[in-house]
Amino acid sequence: MALLEVRDLTKDFGGLRAVNRCSFTVEQGSITALIGPNGAGKTTVFNLITGLLRPTSGRIYFQGRDITAMPPHRITRLGIARTFQITRELAELTVLENVVVHAARDGLAGLIRGSILQHEAERAMALLDFVGLAAMAREKAGKLSYGQRKLMELAGALMAEPRLILLDEPAAGVNPALLEEILERILQLNRSGMTFLIIEHNMDVVMNLSHQVVVMAHGEVICQGPPEAIQQDPRVLDAYLGAA
Amino acid sequence: MTLLNLTRAAAPARLEARFLILSGLVVLLLLLPVLQVLSDGHNYVLHVLMVIFMYVALASGWNIIGGYAGYTSLGHPVFFALGAYFSGVLLVYKGWSPFWTAPLAGLLATIFGFAFGLITLRTRGPAFVISTIALLLLARLVLDNWEWVGGSNGLSLPMIGWPYRFYKIPFYYGMLLTALAAVWVSYRIRHSKLGLFLRAIAMDEIKAEVAGIDTRMCKVIAFAISAFFAGVCGALWGYHQTYLRPTIFLTIGAAADLVLINLVGGRGTVAGPVLGAALRVGLDELVVNQIGSTELNITVTGILMILIVLFFPGGIIGALRERGRLPRLLDWD
Repeated sequence: MALLEVRDLTKDFGGLRAVNRCSFTVEQGSITALIGPNGAGKTTVFNLITGLLRPTSGRIYFQGRDITAMPPHRITRLGIARTFQITRELAELTVLENVVVHAARDGLAGLIRGSILQHEAERAMALLDFVGLAAMAREKAGKLSYGQRKLMELAGALMAEPRLILLDEPAAGVNPALLEEILERILQLNRSGMTFLIIEHNMDVVMNLSHQVVVMAHGEVICQGPPEAIQQDPRVLDAYLGAA
Repeated sequence: MTLLNLTRAAAPARLEARFLILSGLVVLLLLLPVLQVLSDGHNYVLHVLMVIFMYVALASGWNIIGGYAGYTSLGHPVFFALGAYFSGVLLVYKGWSPFWTAPLAGLLATIFGFAFGLITLRTRGPAFVISTIALLLLARLVLDNWEWVGGSNGLSLPMIGWPYRFYKIPFYYGMLLTALAAVWVSYRIRHSKLGLFLRAIAMDEIKAEVAGIDTRMCKVIAFAISAFFAGVCGALWGYHQTYLRPTIFLTIGAAADLVLINLVGGRGTVAGPVLGAALRVGLDELVVNQIGSTELNITVTGILMILIVLFFPGGIIGALRERGRLPRLLDWD
């Protein structure tokens, strides 16, 4: 059974069909890349998976469970974390708070406990250390550079103890040194068993990182396969270079 | 880890001095009515302080949803009126003293706030503000036409049976305790998980939701807690006025007052509403004393408030903090 299965997913915005009968799977332990030209509907698929948008039709299964149209916080609690294409940091909160906000909690009683519990602080600091931001823990998140915000979002996603992490263009707008850092962390996490679904435009990154590639164009999945096969596929070349 | 330990270790010594000063102030306020017992002539001071306490409680309560979560409510006068009418009706028809029905009035406001929040806090941003205005107008319509509670003529309440010289004192204590409770709850929320989540919601609700926060439930809880203090204040204030009328409570002006107090003091901070309430009542009294009780006092306070908001967008607390000049005494966040 695939960790994530998207079946016949369709999303209309008024008269515009942004996602059209999309089906693909993400295998446990894999790094799956979701690629395609701008406007192909990749981010919309992310928003559908994470519950920020409700599909017009189609189903999404996570660990065999139907998560279609669940509220986003429940989907996160079930084990899907994500980062955003344009980072959404909580600018007035500290970096540490930005990470701790993702921590799991138990019901109503959890709400009246201290804002940052000792074990949460320790875990968050370990994660910030992992992404190289430990020294910035007490700074306002708004002070971070763009690349650092991406790393902070990754630490936040990890704080939620997910089984699947969706990364929306982790490489975009990041300087080469920091990009190296981000990719290294993703590989490291994957080696320890974490599954990733990644939207990426940088083909070097896609080819080096991913085990599986899902190609979208005009809201449809046009093919899915290992990166070597995808590179040769005429449909893919068509989607990127063709007149359509 | 050293970073965490450093900040923790430094905290207690600072807390101590501040804690002493603030608790000293509370003790002073608790003892103040003795003056009136010893010699007459202090009812005015007690009255002004009582009004300040009421606004501290109302504004601190409002701040929980309006400041921490960033959801501007113009519906809080409804909870105030609900509390006033609930305790007023029990006093008129049953003879029960509002001093002990006030907490029940708060509880009723909480339940009502919870139910209303469940429906309207699905919305985000301006839609919520509009829904609270609708609530205000609706409540006005109901109370204006509900003859059992006096309709638009209002409801007269029996006076408290104390000698005139001492009659402010129970209200003074009632409002003081309510204010202390409100500030304490506000402080606790600010330093709890709920507070962290509410602040996250205020900054980016979608991010908060994706981070795994049940944003709607957090907002509803914040709104319900926030309504509690308005309900209690309403019950006490109605009894103090001995006269309930829809027009005194249910106005946009009364709703805007709470927003302004928070804007001036510092929305989303613990000390902001306290400072704002003291300034709001203090300024109003000053103007009334200088030029008499005309519409002018409202205008002058209004203009002063606009100026403060224009030049200190984060309120007084926010402006001081930004410049690194916030005295520790007022830094309760």
